This record gives sequence, structure tokens and C-alpha cells, in this order.
Amino acid sequence: MTAALAVPPPDMPNPRRLPAGPALLAAIVAVNLLGFVAPVLNLLRLSFLKVDAIGTLRQSFDLSSWRAILTDGFYAELLVDSVRTCALITGLTLVLSYPIALLIHRCRGTVRTLLLVLVITPLLTSAVVRTYGWVALLYDQGLVNGVLMALGMSAPLRLMFNTVGVVIGLTEILMPYMILSLLAGFGRLDPRCEEAATTLGASPLRTFLRVVLPLTLPGIALGCLLTFVLALSSFITPKLLGGGRVFLLATEIYDQAMVTLNWPLAAALSIVILAMFGLALVLYGRLVRKIG
Amino acid sequence: MTTDAPGHLAIRGLTKRYGGFTAVDGLDLDVARGELLAFLGPSGCGKTTSLRMVAGLVPASGGRIVVGGRDLTGVPTHRRDMGLMFQSYALFPHLSVARNVAFGLEMRGIGRAEREARVREAIALVRLTGKEEHRPAQLSGGQQQRVALARALVIRPQILLLDEPLSNLDAKLRDEMRVEIREIQQRLGITAIFVTHDQVEALTMCDKVAVMNGGRLEQLGTPLDLYERPATPFVARFVGRINQFRARAAGGTVSLGEARITGAGPAEGPVEVMIRPHRIALSPVSAPAETSDAPLNTVAGTVARTTFAGDVLHYEVAVGDAMLCVEEATRSHAGPVAPGTPVRLSWRPDDTLLFAAAA
Repeated sequence: MTAALAVPPPDMPNPRRLPAGPALLAAIVAVNLLGFVAPVLNLLRLSFLKVDAIGTLRQSFDLSSWRAILTDGFYAELLVDSVRTCALITGLTLVLSYPIALLIHRCRGTVRTLLLVLVITPLLTSAVVRTYGWVALLYDQGLVNGVLMALGMSAPLRLMFNTVGVVIGLTEILMPYMILSLLAGFGRLDPRCEEAATTLGASPLRTFLRVVLPLTLPGIALGCLLTFVLALSSFITPKLLGGGRVFLLATEIYDQAMVTLNWPLAAALSIVILAMFGLALVLYGRLVRKIG
Repeated sequence: MTTDAPGHLAIRGLTKRYGGFTAVDGLDLDVARGELLAFLGPSGCGKTTSLRMVAGLVPASGGRIVVGGRDLTGVPTHRRDMGLMFQSYALFPHLSVARNVAFGLEMRGIGRAEREARVREAIALVRLTGKEEHRPAQLSGGQQQRVALARALVIRPQILLLDEPLSNLDAKLRDEMRVEIREIQQRLGITAIFVTHDQVEALTMCDKVAVMNGGRLEQLGTPLDLYERPATPFVARFVGRINQFRARAAGGTVSLGEARITGAGPAEGPVEVMIRPHRIALSPVSAPAETSDAPLNTVAGTVARTTFAGDVLHYEVAVGDAMLCVEEATRSHAGPVAPGTPVRLSWRPDDTLLFAAAA
């Protein structure tokens, strides 16, 4: 009798199954609303506030931050410079990471695990520590210049406190992300396809261009998106290796927020960076759909 | 045999070593122009490695590969002019059917007009006209298989290499493709090697079969040779089903149960005795003895198990302390012999294969 009561009639919806999906979704929606959407909206609100010389916020609507960004040539230049530098970093990271990712993709067993550990290990160290590592290598009396001078160079190369240093440091720091993204996107690359291409008469170079490259495009797109976004939003490495002489969007936001105490301008610049991310994401989406 | 004829493949002393392990050990064979030869053997016997060495995908540790008199041993894969069909098809997923088939022609720098004509022809050959613009993922397994065949054939290779091409297909499709591949190969008169672990494929499709085991060639012969005159116990066991037991030959006969039987092989010493189940005739002891122009091997036994499989009946018959399998075609007018029935087994002495065995 109790068993009969426990089974609901077939046409009645099971009360215990119905709300599970929406309930599970609600949790993540709430986290996103609280942790992401609300702060961004707050940032947007902040960018329309007025600030006085000592950084006190006035609760009045003001367009001066946005006017500065849109009319002051400095910010336009900053934006173009940032995008150009980050695109260069992304390109270099791709070129340096691609062969490594391809090698790991082709390895099996212990060798593969070992190589993956080598790729992931740098991620366990903070970017600050790794940046100081680069300082030790790149400064005027550092290892690189020491070797070059010992080989007979008269004056040290300026490898730090300029864009060169920032590009070197960020490229290395972002390589693990690029390698992992590439590997994630290499799923379609079957070694048998490469073999098929060679039996059909394709030289190694043409096999690469006609088969390997097209099949790894999803990985390349993902890696470039991630690297570009991470490069554009990093500020510790550009600050330390740029020595205050390299101006990027992220470092400028940091300076406006922490040094000048102009929170509305920092907020407005943050929105600009967010828009850049959105743009990169749209480009990525289009590319992925095109690769299909 | 003119080994310099175009399309003739000569393999001489082909060897592959991985460290201390020898995967292929001194393979010697010839495939005449237009012939379909199977590399048959269990997994790990070196058949795929041999094929990959012929294609140049695996460098040989020793030996030579000569096609039409030209030594290809050191020639890279992309200059060998061989069409290879992979077990996993290995179609280019980012290209349409037509572009997949056209790939080899593009690599050879063949002009657009001729390329398109040949692609159309190859696609028609494998009966895929109308699917030109499909992507491989939109095709069934059998259709993908056909694209792979068209792609390998359109370049008009000197040698066609087929690496277990049918093992990913279901049974019905496999039968169809078997006939289709054989028909196309014969129509084009192309020299081909077919790697398989399936003896039915090797026997039904190929002109010659090279049975491999442990990196060595066990026997090279026609399907009939392998089945009727296996050179080694391994070939006898691997090709077709067979009864097998150990015995001692004396004076050209072997004792089985209470009888002595004769066979083809060594007359004295320890032997492996092999008899194919369907060559044994089974009759109740009450029935009159079978008449034959030659003296038959005849033994008495008792049916231990009867299995009805539709077209055949499988019997297990206890003869002395040996157990023999017997297969008979089913007949509508005679039902299965029940277990426990005393029976007489008889077969021709030629059907008894004797191989010298270690003592």
C-alpha cells in the first residue's frame, strides 16, 4: 500500500524533477549578476561622476571623463599603441608557442605528461616573480647584456624600461596560456591526415600549409583571443619592465585609480578595455563560425 | 618474371627494428602488375609496418623496395607515387568531397580542366556523384570509405596500398565494399597490397596472400594453396578452422582412438595432426559405410555436443580422449544427430595434415 502511494500517477509531473534545471541555473545567474554585471554597471555609473582635485567623488552627472577620452589625442594614441603592442605580443607568443604545442600534441605517454608539466609549471609562479626574473636577465648589468658585453659589445642594449622589455616579458608570461589553448583546439588534427597528404604527393611544407594549418585554426583563434585579452589587461609586467615609460591602457587605468585618484576616468577607461574585449570576442566568434 | 615491368613491386629483405625488437624480419616478395596481394596475420605480426615501409611512412631498417625497376627505398613518401587508403579513412575534414579527391592532383600541379574531369570520373567510379560538395562528416562510414578510395585512385598511383580498409564497416557494408574494391582494382589493373587480419577478406579478394607471423613471412601463395597446402601449422590454424591434436607417427600412420589414420606429412616422430571440420563426414554406426575410390580414414566416436547454426551443424565428437569438431551442411530430410549417439567419422587421408612437432 505504501509502495502504491509512493508512485505518482503517470500524467502528473514529478514534483521532485521539475525545478532542478532552473534552480541550478539560478545559482550561476546570481553569482554572475553579483560578481560581474553589478560591478560593471557600477563602473559605468562611476565613469559619469565628477571628481575634485583631491579625488573626492561628487554625486553629480558629469561627462568630463568621456569627453577627455574622446577628444584628447593622448587617449586615442594610448588605445592604438596598446592594441598594436598587444597584437605584437600575441603574434610573437603564437609563433613561439605553436611548434611547442604541435610537439606536445604528437607526443604520447610519459613524454607528453612531462612536457605538459613543463608548460604548466610557470603558471604556478606569480607573474610578479617571473617579471623580476626578467629584470635580472634584461637590465643593463643583467645576464643578457653581461654575455653580450663579454663577447665584445661596447654599450649595453636597452632591453628594459621600454616596449622591448614589456614585449619580451609578456610574451614569455603568456606562452603557457597560448600553448594550452592551442592544444585544446588541435582536436581535429589527426596524424593520419598528414600522412594521407604526403602519400598524395604533398611536400612537408605543403602538408603544413594545406592540412596542418587549416586544421589547427580553431586552436590558433582561441589562443590568440585569450593571449590578446590577457596582454591588454595586464599591468604589473608593463609597469615593472616598462619602468613608467611604456604607456598602455591597463597601466593608465592603474595610474588614474591609484596615483591620480581620478576614479571616473579610470572607470571610463575600464569600460573602453571591456569594449575591446567584446570586439575581440566578436571577431573570434566570426572566425570560428567561418572555420565551421 | 620481369621485375622491371612498370607496376611491379619487389620487396627484398625488408626489415624494421625498434631498438631490440624486430617488427619485420627480412621480408622478401614480389607483387606482379595488376595483382592484389594480401598481408594477412594477427595484430602485431608486422603487416601494417611492412605496408607503411612500402609507403615510406616508416623508414626501413634494412632491405629494398623497388617499383618498376626503380629503387624507392630512400625516396620520401610524397615522391613515391603510391595511393594509400587508411583504416580510419583520414579524409581532410576541412575540405569537401571534391576537394579531398582533387588534393593529390593539385599537389601534382595538374591544370584545372583536367583536374575537374578526373575528379568527376573518380567520384563516379566510387558511385558518389552528387555528393561532391559534402563535407566528410556529412557522409556515412561507407561513403567516407569510397571518398578515400577515390582520393587514392585519382592520382593513378603505381601501387595502391589498403590498410585494413574494411575493419570500420558493418558486416553487410563490408561484403559490398569487398566486391567493389576488388572490381575497381581489376578494372584499373592496378597493383595493390591489402593489409588485413581477416582471413575471409584475404581469401575472397586477393590473388595471393602473404601470411605473416612475428615479423616473418610464413607462407606466400594463392588462397587455394594456403587452405589446402598450408606450409606451417600456424598457417593451417590461421586460415580456416581446423581440428588439431598431438600424436606420434609410426610407419606413416597415427593412432586416433582405437583406429590408425594416415595423412600427408612426416611418417615418424611426434606430429601435429590437423583436420578441417567440414572435411569430416559423420554417420550413425548403424548406417552403411561410405564408399569411396580411395581408402578413407575411419574412426568411431560418440557425439558430445550438437549445435544448430542454421546453415551448418556443429558437432563435437569424442574419439578416444580426443575431441573432434565436425561441420555438416544442414539438410531438410535429416535432422541433427543427438548427443550420446555413437557415430562413425570418415575423411580422405589427403585431408589429414601432419606437421613435425617438437618432442
